[in-house]
Amino acid sequence: MKDVSMKSACGVAALGLACTLAAVALSGYAPQPQPGTARIVSAADAFLATLTPDQRKRELFAFDDNEQRARWSNLPTGFVPRAGLSMGQLNVTQRSAAMALMAATLSPKGLEKVKEIVEGDEVLKQGSGGRDQNMFGKDLFYISILGTPSAKTPWMLQFGGHHLALNITIAGEQGILTPSLTGAQPALYTENGKTIRPLGAESDKGMALLNSFDETQRKQAILSFRVADLVLGPGQDGKTIVPEGLKASSMNAKQKAMLLDLISEWVGIVHEGAANARMKEIKAGLDETWFAWSGSTTVALGKNIAAYYRIQGPKLVIEYAPQRLGGDLSMHVHTIYRDPTNDYGRGVTGK
Amino acid sequence: MKARLAGACILALVAVTPAFAHRLDEYLQATTISLDKGHLHGLLRLTPGVAVFGKVLAEIDTNGDGAISQAEETAYADKVLTDLSLSADGKRLDPAIASYKFDKLELLKRGLGEIEIDFDATLPAGPPVRKLVFENHHQGRISAYLVNCLVPEYPIRVTGQSRTRNQSHYELDLSQEPPPVAAPTHGTGLLPWYSASALLVGIPFVWMRRRSGRRS
Repeated sequence: MKDVSMKSACGVAALGLACTLAAVALSGYAPQPQPGTARIVSAADAFLATLTPDQRKRELFAFDDNEQRARWSNLPTGFVPRAGLSMGQLNVTQRSAAMALMAATLSPKGLEKVKEIVEGDEVLKQGSGGRDQNMFGKDLFYISILGTPSAKTPWMLQFGGHHLALNITIAGEQGILTPSLTGAQPALYTENGKTIRPLGAESDKGMALLNSFDETQRKQAILSFRVADLVLGPGQDGKTIVPEGLKASSMNAKQKAMLLDLISEWVGIVHEGAANARMKEIKAGLDETWFAWSGSTTVALGKNIAAYYRIQGPKLVIEYAPQRLGGDLSMHVHTIYRDPTNDYGRGVTGK
Repeated sequence: MKARLAGACILALVAVTPAFAHRLDEYLQATTISLDKGHLHGLLRLTPGVAVFGKVLAEIDTNGDGAISQAEETAYADKVLTDLSLSADGKRLDPAIASYKFDKLELLKRGLGEIEIDFDATLPAGPPVRKLVFENHHQGRISAYLVNCLVPEYPIRVTGQSRTRNQSHYELDLSQEPPPVAAPTHGTGLLPWYSASALLVGIPFVWMRRRSGRRS
């Protein structure tokens, strides 16, 4: 009797296992990757585990440390010192863990953009003929963590140096990338025979959007005055200026799609889940979003624009500003990406 | 990354151009105006480029000792203010310095430093539709100007902006809407009325049903 019941129990279990396996096979199951924040927290913990106690002290800040939050700039670290740990202060293992954390936090495209900006700075260092060893180069990019990496409690990851400042607030599944600065000098260089333009898509898509406008739209979009620099660059947190240019409500569906695609060049730096949520938010306010252009309305093939543009919506400010430093406007660019209602995630965390 | 860098080379233009990371041949003057009822606030951020710093310093360091004293800072902030002009509805306003801050001389020399001047002006009462004009003529030959207005709080609205090509002249059209008449909304404002109506209709209805129930 006992034997029979054991046999039948095993039979039922085997049948159950077979059914489960069949269901799994039919559903095309594969082990799911960790959701965004859990993946980032794991990578952050792994990075912190590689640090010495002294390095940890220098790496970690309080989440609401407003001084550290605002310690970023377009300028080289030799002029505006950053805090945290520089890549040059990390050994190979630590550096690799730091880059793994960046890879977990950013999209593949965002990571590539960051690497190209960093490499551009190395090119700048080589080009200075050794004069600016302590001013430029990939060793002078800093990583810092504000708060404790957590899937539930808000914390922040900062990565930046000359021409780069990523401020990423992680709050639950949200990844808030504002305010962030990207820049490039040289904004066009070659490596292994390949032309690299770290901010080339921002230039090309901006130009394409302008070229899609009819005469009436162009009159509204093109400002009659020169804009010499970023208006809401470093130090201008939380400010909202009166918008100008062409409102997206006056654009056709194709132009609106082009505008969103242009915006995604900044939004899409962060990982896909966070970027999708942010794009949804921006899309909701799209009709109240403005596009303004100042400067040359043509561009040489394969080069960057020599013009300023600004995209401004209810929860968005993007500026693209070529710099008149060293001659060619198209070779030195600063950009800023903000959400005046949620810079450093303040709108979400209240801190 | 190493492999990429090994092959990295700079285009000819970059190779012959020094690695400037700082402002060079312009004196950037960025003004941000903010407005509230009866008050205007301006923040002027001045960043002299390396190549023009000599001209700027000559105006600040009036005794020529190569340093910037407190008195020279004050005098320069006052000088800048006299080169600005502000008017509302054609009447000249009289801005006053609220504060100023100079970065260290070393930073300014390198084109990295900033001079910040905060100024305030009283905005006298005026018509509902107003025009504000701001002009900056400080160091006109070497300057690049920026001027913008922060979005004001209700009821002030910016209805138009215009500038000259170099942004030294800025006009701002404003409207100050009268306070709205409080009107009932479709939200909680009508709730008491809906409740009262429901009671007025509902109570007799229930009462009549009970009466007819007793009869049957």
